[in-house]
Amino acid sequence: MPRPLSFRALLTPTLVVYLAVGLGVLLGVAGLVFKVRDGSNPAAGMVLGATGGFLFLAAGAVAHTRRPANRVGLLMVLVGAGFFAEDLQVSRTPAISTAGLLLVRASSGFAAHLLLAFPSGRLTSRVQRLLVAAAYATAFGLPSAAALFYDTRQLPDSVPNLLLVADNIQLAQAANRIEETIGAAIAVGVLVLLVRRWATASRPLRWVLAPVFVTGLVGAAATVAGGVVGSTGHPLYSAFLWVYWVAFCLLPLAFLAGVLRVRLGRTAVGDLLGRLHEPLSAADLQGLLARSLGDPSLRIGYWRPESGTFIDGDGQRLRLPEDDSQRAVWPVERDGRRVAALFHDPALREDPHHLDAVAAAAGLALDNQRLAAEVNAQLTEVRASRVRIVAAADAERRRLERDLHDGAQQRLVVARLLLRLLQERLDGTVDEQTTALLARSADGLDRAMEELRALARGIHPAILTEAGLVPALRALAEQAPLDVRLTAAAVPRLAPAVEATGYFVAAEALTNTLKYAHADQVRIDVEHADGRLRVEVTDNGIGGADITAGTAGTAGTAGTGLLGLRDRLAALDGTLTVHSPAGHGTVVRAFLPTDDPR
Amino acid sequence: MVLADDAVFLREVVAELLRGHGCDVVAQVADPAGLHGAIAALRPDIAVVDIRMPPTHHLEGLEAAVAIRRDHPDVGVLLLSQYLESHYLPALFGAGAGSIGYLLKERVAGTAVFLDAVRRVAAGGCALDPDVAALLVGGRHRRGPLDTLTDREREVLALMAEGRSNRSISDQLVLTPRTVESHVRSIFTRLGLQPQPDDHRRVLAVITYLQATGTTATRRS
Repeated sequence: MPRPLSFRALLTPTLVVYLAVGLGVLLGVAGLVFKVRDGSNPAAGMVLGATGGFLFLAAGAVAHTRRPANRVGLLMVLVGAGFFAEDLQVSRTPAISTAGLLLVRASSGFAAHLLLAFPSGRLTSRVQRLLVAAAYATAFGLPSAAALFYDTRQLPDSVPNLLLVADNIQLAQAANRIEETIGAAIAVGVLVLLVRRWATASRPLRWVLAPVFVTGLVGAAATVAGGVVGSTGHPLYSAFLWVYWVAFCLLPLAFLAGVLRVRLGRTAVGDLLGRLHEPLSAADLQGLLARSLGDPSLRIGYWRPESGTFIDGDGQRLRLPEDDSQRAVWPVERDGRRVAALFHDPALREDPHHLDAVAAAAGLALDNQRLAAEVNAQLTEVRASRVRIVAAADAERRRLERDLHDGAQQRLVVARLLLRLLQERLDGTVDEQTTALLARSADGLDRAMEELRALARGIHPAILTEAGLVPALRALAEQAPLDVRLTAAAVPRLAPAVEATGYFVAAEALTNTLKYAHADQVRIDVEHADGRLRVEVTDNGIGGADITAGTAGTAGTAGTGLLGLRDRLAALDGTLTVHSPAGHGTVVRAFLPTDDPR
Repeated sequence: MVLADDAVFLREVVAELLRGHGCDVVAQVADPAGLHGAIAALRPDIAVVDIRMPPTHHLEGLEAAVAIRRDHPDVGVLLLSQYLESHYLPALFGAGAGSIGYLLKERVAGTAVFLDAVRRVAAGGCALDPDVAALLVGGRHRRGPLDTLTDREREVLALMAEGRSNRSISDQLVLTPRTVESHVRSIFTRLGLQPQPDDHRRVLAVITYLQATGTTATRRS
């Protein structure tokens, strides 16, 4: 069943705009006719004023057609209509002329509203709404009050004021003065808000505001300059007047340009759609959206449900530039799922449709990038966790060495000492067998101490922590049971994990050489340059070592030790290679980034 | 003498051993502050110091040893360590090789070496652990002047590095002092070292020389 059409349903914004345009044209034509008939108006001002008025009507209509949801178009039309309505008072018809008296300031209320609502069409703060309400009240209320006491019959060629209650020129003038004072206060208020808006506006918003502000400033300057030079007699006065009229005519075009500039962003959505078909990196996508929205500061945050945080394309927790309070957030959802958020300049809120369009167009790409970012984030976590595992293993080794030193080793020394004291006390008082047993016990303890010392050292050499990589490697070379030559340029103290890894690579390679290589010479080269540590162990053995061969013990097997070390190196972003051609020795080479020397 | 070690049970037994051999242990301390206090107050002939002491248990003992040698030249220091590192020798012997010793901690149980070292250091001499000396002298160098030494000369060199006098060396190797002297002269000539007037400077020269070539030092297997 069709719904009955109500008057309200018929009164669509578009209809209102067309009605207002129609009324404005009617008033404009009528005003021109009245003025021409009046004959007292200069032709140039008349023509330019009418042109400006009609341009407001036309530009408003265009703005509305292009941006139906934006009230700026309607307000422009109303400014034009109000401007023409102000001319009604020159009519010779008493009813029309009286209506004109009520409307002498008609355009000022609409103009204040337009200026403050531009470019979004909405008043966003209480102060703005109050100012606009005051502007409307002043524009329509006070002239009505003055009209009650304004006897037009005193003027030449008078047309009777139908509203006249009492001829009281004082009251009429008082009403006029009040109107002017309040009007000036409102104008100052509007100006302050506009200056503040400009001062806080971002680049994209300034591009929208600029035409209106520049034109408005030129017009205002011309008016002030005209006021300063005074009467019509001054030679510059007409020049300033011309400037004012030209600025007035350009103003509606400036408003339209502002609206169209936002409109231009829309075509950027088309470009965006085209580009989105190409494979894009996260940085590409962010740049593309930034360009489409005209906001170079735009940041994309990809939603990570597990952690409840936004991450960037690399999977890092999103870091917004300082001045966070100046950011606005535009959530992007797909199928009711949060995908990402655009952290953008609040000025883009002036055109939410554009934001919406860009976000919708990029939805799929953002979702894909979110997955990539998610993988990156997981990768980052896994890497961080590997580094932590290495660090934890090192810490555990250090702790173990300390425990062995503080505990077992000291106890063994004490036991050995006590045994020594016992030996001294029993010396010469016991039989040979007992003496021999004591000696064997002492020998066993000595060996236990020696082995424990070697074990503790192998777990984590104290000198590595105390003196660094090169002294530790030198000690390793000194104590190796074959000819080991160490060449090391100046190596600074490095991160503990790096030093430990470099050391263990050399120690493990040396162990393998001793076990399998039948070598009699080993060279350890250590070099630190360009944020990279190289540890290279070369022997002159039989070669044929294979890092991946799992079965330790067979000849030519580098053993699982190096394989484990390769994982350790990978965790630290390093590499480990083994070059071991049969019969030509073995080279174990490790590279480690050392970007954090301490 | 003053004993400095934070392992109380070990310190007590060492003190007992030393007292049994006629040493007068006047104080036992557990950290560097206590050590410095005891030395300033008691002026012992020698302090036996563990290299690992609180607070970090790294090189506090070494630092304390260097400080004592600097501030109290008449007090000898015998440093005990779980591991022997030739790396620390320059720091330890930097101020001269007199009244200083560096010994593996386990030596305290091998009374002879330990007491010998205590006596030598207390008497103003030097005592380097035989293991360190052996490491420095090495065994199978393929290049360098050390290769030109005979085995006997290498033995003499190691004993010199331990800080022993000619007389001590001759006792150790059962050689006549004259033979030892000729070995020493020969070693100095072959290594291109200047003959030194006293034992302190001699051990310093030897250790410095061996340290410089120590990067390539190896050990008898």
